[in-house]
Amino acid sequence: MKEIKILHLYPDMLELYGDYGNVQVLKYRIESRGFKACIDEYSIGDTPPNFNDYDIVFAGGGADNEQGILAEDLIQYKDDIKQAIQNGVFFLLICGAYQLFGQYYKDVNKNIIPGLEIFEYYTEAISDRQKRCIGNIVLECDLGDIKTKIIGFENHGGQTFNISKPFGRVLFGNGNKFGDTEEGFCDKNVIATYLHGPLLSKNPVLSDYIIKYCFDRKYDEDIVLEPLNDDFENLCREQLLERFSNKT
Amino acid sequence: MLYKMKNFIIILTIKILNIILKIFHKHGGNILGKIAFKLNPKIFQYFKVNCPVIAVSATNGKTMTNNCIVYTLKKSGHKVVSNIEGNNMETGILSTILKNCTLTGKIKADYLVFEVDESYVPVVFKDFRLDTLIILNFFRDQLDRNGEVESLILRIQNFLKTYTGNLILNHDDPNVARLAKANPNNKNIFYFSVEKYQFATEKLKEAGEGKFCPFCKTKLEYEYYQYSHIGNFKCPNCNFGDNPIYKLATNIDLKSKTFDVDNITYTIKGNSIYLIYNYTATLCVCSLYNISTDIIKESFSTFSLNNGRLEELEIKGIQTIINLAKNPTGSNVSLRILNEDDSQKELLFVLNDNIADGFDVSWIWDINFNNLNNVSRIITSGKRAYDIAIRIKTSGFDAKKIEAYLDLSEAVKHLYETDVKKYIIANYTSLEPTRHELKLLQKEDNIK
Repeated sequence: MKEIKILHLYPDMLELYGDYGNVQVLKYRIESRGFKACIDEYSIGDTPPNFNDYDIVFAGGGADNEQGILAEDLIQYKDDIKQAIQNGVFFLLICGAYQLFGQYYKDVNKNIIPGLEIFEYYTEAISDRQKRCIGNIVLECDLGDIKTKIIGFENHGGQTFNISKPFGRVLFGNGNKFGDTEEGFCDKNVIATYLHGPLLSKNPVLSDYIIKYCFDRKYDEDIVLEPLNDDFENLCREQLLERFSNKT
Repeated sequence: MLYKMKNFIIILTIKILNIILKIFHKHGGNILGKIAFKLNPKIFQYFKVNCPVIAVSATNGKTMTNNCIVYTLKKSGHKVVSNIEGNNMETGILSTILKNCTLTGKIKADYLVFEVDESYVPVVFKDFRLDTLIILNFFRDQLDRNGEVESLILRIQNFLKTYTGNLILNHDDPNVARLAKANPNNKNIFYFSVEKYQFATEKLKEAGEGKFCPFCKTKLEYEYYQYSHIGNFKCPNCNFGDNPIYKLATNIDLKSKTFDVDNITYTIKGNSIYLIYNYTATLCVCSLYNISTDIIKESFSTFSLNNGRLEELEIKGIQTIINLAKNPTGSNVSLRILNEDDSQKELLFVLNDNIADGFDVSWIWDINFNNLNNVSRIITSGKRAYDIAIRIKTSGFDAKKIEAYLDLSEAVKHLYETDVKKYIIANYTSLEPTRHELKLLQKEDNIK
């Protein structure tokens, strides 16, 4: 049976905004089509994972405290991760994980937490602790040939700069910085974004784009995924897009 | 003198306003306090209190515990002033005080008991007497409004550095227990704890905080989890979590709704583990203020909130249990009650995303919907009916058995198409509209 292997990084620490739901959505959409989804978890103290063994590597957002602790742990895998990205393993990185894969994160007290330096972008916290980009957000994204609207929720104090290729254009909400026109970072097999919600819960097109990418890469095919009943997802999108567009 | 005059005039104005509000049958809520606080942010200093002041703070269970303490103290014949309607920010507490003080700021009561929002403990008690502070728990709650739990805890910890009054702490929540060390000179620490109950688990079953020792950052070891991260923990490195317990609840029996403390059996209404914690905290207060056991027993066996907190109703002859759930833990304990009940049932989940709820609904993914026990249908409603439907579907519950209605009255109508027992979970702003719809249905039924 065809199988997608997912590695969930630090599920016990990067678990603040329900981002774990992304893994659940992937699992649901893979299994509903009769395929197998295998989910492994890695956290501090566990046997080091072989990143190249996986089809998808996922990491979410966490509390500041926990993020500092795990940054030190993650850095030992820097070269492995780089190689896995080069090999085409799909990386889905949300919020804190998005920041960690950049050059550095400068916190409110101007302390620098070094990143994995895999991507060129860097993040600086806004000096006013009270000020954060918080709220519903809608993006327009190009996923290969598909143009789709992505709905999520952002909640971040960090402002991310030096993005070579954003994940989407902001239609509603902030983005990488306050009042930005762009959100997140992407590459062929990387999506790094601030979007919670969780991201994949209301964006089935994006979920299937990732799943198709993995099957095509692993089994060297051009798979046509069987459509699923997405009535709730579609109704949800319709309702929210209408609500948010009335606000702008 | 001028200062005193100013406060005198403020109180006089508020009293007059209160009379006007009463004439128009308005309750006022926070408004009176809001005005007074605006006129003088230091007004808390002005009041003269000659009786014990007790405060309850937590993420979940403030209202229930506060009202149970008030109920018990009143049963023992005391005059108690309290914000039992749940206005728990500084303005709400100020409103309660203003309504109950003389023009010179004297409050005549045997006890003042307040439920206080976690963020407002330092604001209120910086300038006001406090004798006993009870802290029940800290859970993630409306992160887009409140921020991370840690910053909230640090604010209270900072306040406690100079506090020397009684501090009643939940020993089974590491984030609460750690507060005992905020002021090493305070010897008045009283821990409460609850012995392992039937459905406790070895592994964390629901989203929780406090996985690492706050003192040495070592991963905490749990013997068991009661619910969320509440349980018997210890730091293997520095021994944090090993303290003498002042009140320990034992023999927890949720079926017969009883538990023991100091070899005395208490019967309660309600059948959830989190209630046992609230009652045990109440027992600590009662013990410190020498309330007789007979009165406590009598009070516990008759106390209930009946405001959508585990409220039991009968609608169209169908047994219905409605519970407020503002955050993952609130929802998870509600589902625990549902799962601990073997009878067949249907669930209605109402989810709004108004300002008071927080705009972010991603917390519903921290709710554990896995392996629901004997649930034949789920209806979702509220402004985020589809979000919660997607959440439940993804957990593995058959999508064909889920119905989503944005319109609440439609949802309730469909819910009562079958005569199966109902469980209803509603978040903050959806609770009253849901109760309202249920009452309408109840009335309709009575007219027939």
